[in-house]
Amino acid sequence: MNIHNYEKLWLVLSMVLIIGFISTVVYGATAVGIEMVNDEGGTIDSTALEEDERFSEPRVEKVGENEYAAYVVARQFIFEPDPIEVPANSTVTFYVTSPDVIHGFEVVGTNANGMVVPGEITELTVEVNEPKEYGILCNEYCGGGHHTMEGKLIVVPEDEFELGGQSDE
Amino acid sequence: MSEQLESGAPTFLDKFPDEAAVVRAALWSSFIALALGAVFGLIQALHRTNVLRLIDSTDYYTVLTAHGVLMVISFTIFFLVGLFTWATVRSLDREVVDIRYTWTWYGLMVAGTLMAVVAILGGFVPSLNISADVLYTFYAPMQAHPLFYGGLAIFLIGTWLAGADWFRTWWAWKADNPDERIPLQTFMVLTTMMMWYVASIGITIAVVGFLLPWSLGIFDQINPLLTRTLFWFWGHPVVYFWLMPAYLLWYTVLPTVAGGRLFSDPLGRVVFVLFLLLSTPVGIHHQYVDPGIAEGFKTIAMTNTMFLLLPSFLTAFTVVASVEHGARQRGGTGLFGWLRALPWRDPAFTGMMLAGLMFAAGGFSGMINAGMNINYLIHNTLWVPGHFHLTVGTAVALTLMAATYWLWPQLTNRRLYSRPIGLAQVVIWFVGMGLMSNAMHVMGLFGVPRRTAEPQYEGFEFVTSFGSITELRLQLAIGGTLLFISTMLFVINIALTSGSPKLSGLGEPLSEPLSTADDSPEILDNLKLWFGIAFVLVILAYALPLASIISRGGILGPGVDPVPMIVEPVVATIEPTLGRLAAAAGSVVA
Amino acid sequence: MSGENTVREIGHDEFDPKGTLALILIYFGVLSVMWVFMYFVEFLGNDLTVLV
Repeated sequence: MNIHNYEKLWLVLSMVLIIGFISTVVYGATAVGIEMVNDEGGTIDSTALEEDERFSEPRVEKVGENEYAAYVVARQFIFEPDPIEVPANSTVTFYVTSPDVIHGFEVVGTNANGMVVPGEITELTVEVNEPKEYGILCNEYCGGGHHTMEGKLIVVPEDEFELGGQSDE
Repeated sequence: MSEQLESGAPTFLDKFPDEAAVVRAALWSSFIALALGAVFGLIQALHRTNVLRLIDSTDYYTVLTAHGVLMVISFTIFFLVGLFTWATVRSLDREVVDIRYTWTWYGLMVAGTLMAVVAILGGFVPSLNISADVLYTFYAPMQAHPLFYGGLAIFLIGTWLAGADWFRTWWAWKADNPDERIPLQTFMVLTTMMMWYVASIGITIAVVGFLLPWSLGIFDQINPLLTRTLFWFWGHPVVYFWLMPAYLLWYTVLPTVAGGRLFSDPLGRVVFVLFLLLSTPVGIHHQYVDPGIAEGFKTIAMTNTMFLLLPSFLTAFTVVASVEHGARQRGGTGLFGWLRALPWRDPAFTGMMLAGLMFAAGGFSGMINAGMNINYLIHNTLWVPGHFHLTVGTAVALTLMAATYWLWPQLTNRRLYSRPIGLAQVVIWFVGMGLMSNAMHVMGLFGVPRRTAEPQYEGFEFVTSFGSITELRLQLAIGGTLLFISTMLFVINIALTSGSPKLSGLGEPLSEPLSTADDSPEILDNLKLWFGIAFVLVILAYALPLASIISRGGILGPGVDPVPMIVEPVVATIEPTLGRLAAAAGSVVA
Repeated sequence: MSGENTVREIGHDEFDPKGTLALILIYFGVLSVMWVFMYFVEFLGNDLTVLV
């Protein structure tokens, strides 16, 4: 098959771009250590969240030296708990699920972003640094009140942080 | 100086009047959907930016569902079936086997569309108990009225029968021409349809196997991750169903319009085969941040997706080289100076060129979307609509409009009502889309969500690094308004063309490629081989992820209730209705 | 099809798409720069990246 030399050159350059893009992503996954949301969060009966010890009372818990777990429920049209409070300079793993429809969990202005699917638990681990307030919003259409669905993530100075300090009424 | 002196050649209408009638009908359906979709798009652009709110924010989602379905199901696919009928009949130089069959599949597509549109627009009339406020993606457990799912199914069946029509026509031609290569346009039609058949597996199982029976009350529960994954099995290749008609036009029509010849027919075949093979085993790249799907499957989808860039990269070269050929045949010289020698006053030419230029940018934002971990940055933000308004919204939509300026006279024997308005229309589209899409990309980077009626929140502000949110919103609103004006200019220009006098000799023969089919290996025309490989690839990509989702969550879900996006579940209304009918019948008898 | 505006016919062996090559090399450059910027500055430079 007759391919012009210039197009052969472009074919090579296209492969360079493709391999380059794939390599960058692999670099992010390995050297930087970015993990995608996956199936390790496990499954759950979405009609019986109140029977699950984690999600019947959405809250933040200390699970290690500087490690916290945030059990979050996304439902029409709120996030529980609100606000989610964690201490500065710690590692936080969010476990998010929904009893009703698919939602999105987006910490605004950050890379913490995942889908929340009834029956599944979304697990995201991040490192929080200096004290800051972040907004949380739902970025997947979930019904007529979708645009009102927001929450807050508050990174509290370490000396001011108290477990159970947040209300989730 | 007019570029369009009569060539003296007979038109498609002259040679194939029956087929021309179906093509016109399909294209009119397409334009009506576009016009209605544009009205809704304008409402959205003004509403979410807080410039003008004419409706309730809850109704925004009805508008958005209508806009999505009308634009990317109705507008694009009705155009495709019209275009592909024209291309097949023209390139094989032969009528369809049975024109009544052709009208039948078109009728099914119209019926399906009407069913789905009634279901969606019913959302504005709460007393009707019919709605489908589920958006174009209709993710369970949000539930629409069965009319919605039924309409989609019937529409899909219509498209499958359309493909069969073109295959039949080709087989009849092949019997009479056993030793010839498949003409390029027909080759493109058939490979696109084979891709569509493979892609349809996912959505058919989702809609007919699960969602429709569930909406009728046959199942109580559903596994949302399963139906979502089956949706995206189809949801990625559908974008190539939108794109490949545009590519067909860029490869087979644009070179002639530019005054040149297609640089390479063989590379056109290679590109379409690559789309057939690689369009489907990639759907999981729409689910990079979904729970329940292992990272290994996401990585495989990412790699396949990056290789799917190749046919588009090759297309860029081949199409631009063909246009350059035209420019130089028209006397253009220099490394870049040849661009000036092109027929920029021709709206068909300029529209397709602007569409291609915008696609170069849209392709880039797609590369970012594909980059697995970088997807965290932009997932479900306004960046995503920014991306697809450049691709389906311009590369495809603007090409289809531009091509209509070239094709419509050959379907009607009438000159276009106004070429200057056509030229203004394509330029306004380009400017409007540039403003709107740029604003969407930037706002997405700041975290502004997509699919949201009022992205103005109480607890926090969006933080921008350049430009203010207010300026960006205004830019989006202005861009959207220009797009609406452009759409109206297009539809009105075509409508007014019905009043132009009938002329003869408006045929536009297409030029021969520089490198012809004979320069390519015959194996390219072995459609069964490519279909087989495509089928195997999609099974490999999806068997394990689907098996995993089903084994973890159950085929009908780990316990999820339906959330009807309708006022009352259909099942609950059937019994009282039957009761009333029975009572009425009883009182008549007694 | 050579229309009224064709000044000269150019056949297969006489045509080298130099302009296309120039344009596509520019595109290659733009893509490379934009990718590096988006990935390393916008993405990796952003807060709360999800880690193992």
